[in-house]
Amino acid sequence: MTALGVAAPERLADLKRRLPTGARLHFSVLALVLVVMAFLPLVVPESALPVAIRTLIFAIMAVGWNLMSGYGGMFSFGHAAFFGVGAYTNAYLLTAFGVSPWIGMIVGAGLSAGVGVLIAYLCLKYKLAGSYFALATFAFAQMFLLVTLNMEFLNKSEGINIPLLPEESWSMLQFDQGSLYYYWIPLVLLGVAVAVSISFVYSRPGQFAQAIRDDPTAAESLGIKVMKYRLIPVALSCAVTAVAGAFYTQYYLFIGPDQAFGLHVSTDAIIPAVIGGIGTIWGPLIGAAVIGPLSAVVAGFLRDPPPFLEFLYGTSGLDIAIYAILLILIVVFLPKGIYGTIRERRRK
Amino acid sequence: MLTTERGRIVLGLFAITVLGIAAVYLFGGKDSNLVTQTVVTGLLLGGVYVLVSLGLTLIFGVLGIVNFAQGAMLAMAMYLVYFMVSSAGINPYLAVVLSAPIMFGFGWLVQSTLMNRLITDVGHSRPLLVTLGLSLLISNTLLMIFGGRPLNVPSPYAGSVQILGAIADVPRIIAFVGAVIVAGGLIVILRKSPVGLAIRAVAANGTGASLVGVNVKRIYAMTFGLGAASVGVAGGLLAPFTSLVPSAGDQFTTLAFVIVVLGGLGSVPGALVGGIFIGLLQTVGSLFLPGSGPLLLVFGMFVLVLFLRPQGLFGANK
Amino acid sequence: MKKHTLVVVAVAVALGMSGCSGTSNVAASGDSVDSVTIGSIHPLSGSLSGVGGLMNAGAKMAVADINEAGGIGSLGGATLVLNEGDSQGKAEIGQSEAQRLISEGAVALIGTYQSDVTQNVASVAERAKVPLVIDVAVDDKILEQGYSYSFRIQPDATSMGASGARSLIAMGEATGTEIDTVAYIHIEGAFGGSVFEAFKTEAEATGITVADEITYSGANFSDATTQVTQALASDPDVIVVTGYFPDNLLIAEAVNALKPDIKAVFGIASGAYDDNSFPAAAGEAASNILSANYHYSATSDRAADIRTRFEAANGESMETASMLSYQAVEVIAAALEESGSVDPEVLRDAISSLSLTDPLLEFNGPIEFDENGQNINATVVVMQVQDGAVEQVFPTEIATKEAILPAFSR
Repeated sequence: MTALGVAAPERLADLKRRLPTGARLHFSVLALVLVVMAFLPLVVPESALPVAIRTLIFAIMAVGWNLMSGYGGMFSFGHAAFFGVGAYTNAYLLTAFGVSPWIGMIVGAGLSAGVGVLIAYLCLKYKLAGSYFALATFAFAQMFLLVTLNMEFLNKSEGINIPLLPEESWSMLQFDQGSLYYYWIPLVLLGVAVAVSISFVYSRPGQFAQAIRDDPTAAESLGIKVMKYRLIPVALSCAVTAVAGAFYTQYYLFIGPDQAFGLHVSTDAIIPAVIGGIGTIWGPLIGAAVIGPLSAVVAGFLRDPPPFLEFLYGTSGLDIAIYAILLILIVVFLPKGIYGTIRERRRK
Repeated sequence: MLTTERGRIVLGLFAITVLGIAAVYLFGGKDSNLVTQTVVTGLLLGGVYVLVSLGLTLIFGVLGIVNFAQGAMLAMAMYLVYFMVSSAGINPYLAVVLSAPIMFGFGWLVQSTLMNRLITDVGHSRPLLVTLGLSLLISNTLLMIFGGRPLNVPSPYAGSVQILGAIADVPRIIAFVGAVIVAGGLIVILRKSPVGLAIRAVAANGTGASLVGVNVKRIYAMTFGLGAASVGVAGGLLAPFTSLVPSAGDQFTTLAFVIVVLGGLGSVPGALVGGIFIGLLQTVGSLFLPGSGPLLLVFGMFVLVLFLRPQGLFGANK
Repeated sequence: MKKHTLVVVAVAVALGMSGCSGTSNVAASGDSVDSVTIGSIHPLSGSLSGVGGLMNAGAKMAVADINEAGGIGSLGGATLVLNEGDSQGKAEIGQSEAQRLISEGAVALIGTYQSDVTQNVASVAERAKVPLVIDVAVDDKILEQGYSYSFRIQPDATSMGASGARSLIAMGEATGTEIDTVAYIHIEGAFGGSVFEAFKTEAEATGITVADEITYSGANFSDATTQVTQALASDPDVIVVTGYFPDNLLIAEAVNALKPDIKAVFGIASGAYDDNSFPAAAGEAASNILSANYHYSATSDRAADIRTRFEAANGESMETASMLSYQAVEVIAAALEESGSVDPEVLRDAISSLSLTDPLLEFNGPIEFDENGQNINATVVVMQVQDGAVEQVFPTEIATKEAILPAFSR
């Protein structure tokens, strides 16, 4: 067993034996989760919907990030770059050429995957690993931000506004304010992302990628092409994150350099995955479920504190401070994340 | 100087810088007074960057921690100095001396209570996330205590002097001198003192060091403390000419990483040289590139260094 | 184990969601109600919380004052309730706050200080058909998208640049100071860029040459000496500045250090030069700096009274941004009074046809909105720091002190 709890295959033959059962179980759970979550908006108050949608977007980003950083072992600290490429591609194609966001999403995913593979290829070729790899991805995301700030055709710092349509439109992915489709669509997208995750993890390329992550030298000696099987999770990771970016633009009807490439976007992709359990299928979802509503819950609490905590009312910054403390505590005391720790305990 | 690789690097960089500046004078098409002013401002800005990066090169270099709280700690130090100056009326530069041990204690505490639990980690992601959380915690605690409106620390030595026909602000000159002093102090501590030896031993080989009896955890705490104290001094020296808001340090965090990688992780001379170089690059760059162009240039350089010479200028060859 | 996952996920999310529901201050649609809710969205945390907090406090005070004066008469003396939202300085949080406030019964919104957050909130307001009265947000584009539910009290970027140019020229003529060339230093981005473009067009049409344009990045700026030196290289009569508080402060300090032979530093829409904390923060560097900006009325007794009470209650000076939030609440209250209805769509029409006399800001006339929602009488006035205080100096009708131009005698 390795530190991340995924067994490195001892022989290639082992791979084939492990494939079907695990994947099937995950898929059935996924189906169940999707069905249950589909009913969520009907039982929670209307005011919770924006938070739920934001949580779903975080979840997709975290699932995407986890593919490359958890399963691929390449810690990305600049995932905003891929989110932003997806978001801007979608926004630009829509506003400049009237292309449907569904197509924009796919084009954005493809473009993002290409960009990601290029960046990862360069970093790997120059033998960057660990913190250096993370810093390189961070630098690229910052550069994308600065470049976008200066590009006339992307409206520089003003960003791109998605024009309001007079009527709902499926082809243009725009519905009335508060429409439940804004919840169900990212839910389906999340389901697809998790399905991609499961398929990848249990597939041959996925097993190879994990083997490379755990011990690149051993994997190479087994004849696995290291570069190729590292770039596959990168491409998938970027594509998934780009889809989150494209949907973000359609929901918020606006994208700007900071919303697309800002540092907080990268951390939004990382924190849920780490809190939930990096390198696990369900970790990113659980992490997003905790983090997404957290800020809103604390803010709500501070608006209406119980009598003995009255003095806390309206203190600027307290909600983020509490969020930060929780983040630190979970990262320090639950090394495998919430889901990872539960899974460990169950295995014993 | 030409015999050691390190000497060659310093000479090479110095030559490039001098040639670059000469080129700007001769072919840049800018008024030469403007260029002189830019160079002087760039050097002083470099001093600021050096101050901010010294602590990080220790923390990142020795402990391997990507300290995203660097900027927040800088702001914390600035507010500490503000608090001492505004409540007790002491000279801000005296407050700097007093705040260094306080920040040292803070750094020690962070390492011993939080980070030391994570040293068995294979990866670096958890310490990074903890520092991220710390950064948010510190910024927002400062916000809760001091509010968001800009505050300022009056400098008793305000005013400017002329250097080579260019204007230089006295508080910034003091900061520059402070940067050199702190860098020198750190070099002395690392090279000559037993603690410094232990730190370098741990940085080079943690297991080996513990085998010869070094209390690794304690050294880690000491290193983080030392890094935090450097940031403490930095904050105090910058406060007299910086508008104090809780996010005042954030703009330096990213640049500090660039400088530390450029100079070489764990290398104090590297941070010194790197900081000044980046300061000059930014100011001279702004003569030719509008807006955020110089920053893009700095990041471009960062990526190049990561690809071509990731150990930086003074780091050991891998 | 898999079922565990399911339960954990579902429970966590459900708990989270239920924790988010707020109490509903539902104001029934009708003519006589007990209370009417106005939602405000400002950055109450994050780096802009200083001014965000002030604006929120201004809105709160307006609500209190109106309630004390009897509330909304045409609604049977209904009291106003302010539901305070925190945008945290982020566009998507601003959006979800707007949605939350509307779902909790707000009939109108005010906010948000930042242009990108305001853009997001404006689109929410438009789709929910709830009027948004913008207190501070400068980007022209917000009102150029054909939205009918957004209104702005402050002047937009283009009009500030243009009227800034006109004021500079007029002041030059009035004091007999020759102003032929200017160098313009501004922050990079839509704000600085659009004010500059408008200034340049107006100025060059009237005979002033813009000798140089220098931009700087707000993201990384700790010393303005290079930029100011560059500006001086073109030998201008006046240096014009547009930007936010910290960077404009650095520019003033750099000018003071260099002591150049120029006639004035002239801010347009500057976040620093007419702020009451600027003289103390900049010391002698603030002396005689001019600032063309929208400003709370220094000549109105009503405004002076409000400012005094605000400072007593909050311990901080009431800046123009805060006065604008106060004014925004007054606009909504006046519209409620006019329409006698709490239906947001009717309210929107009332705001649109409103003519609010005795504004609290130094404007050219009553607050009236054009078909895009822009206040047509919004204008800038010119302030100057004299003897450590911010005084209004132009036009002469509203001046509290005489303008000093040339501002520097070197």
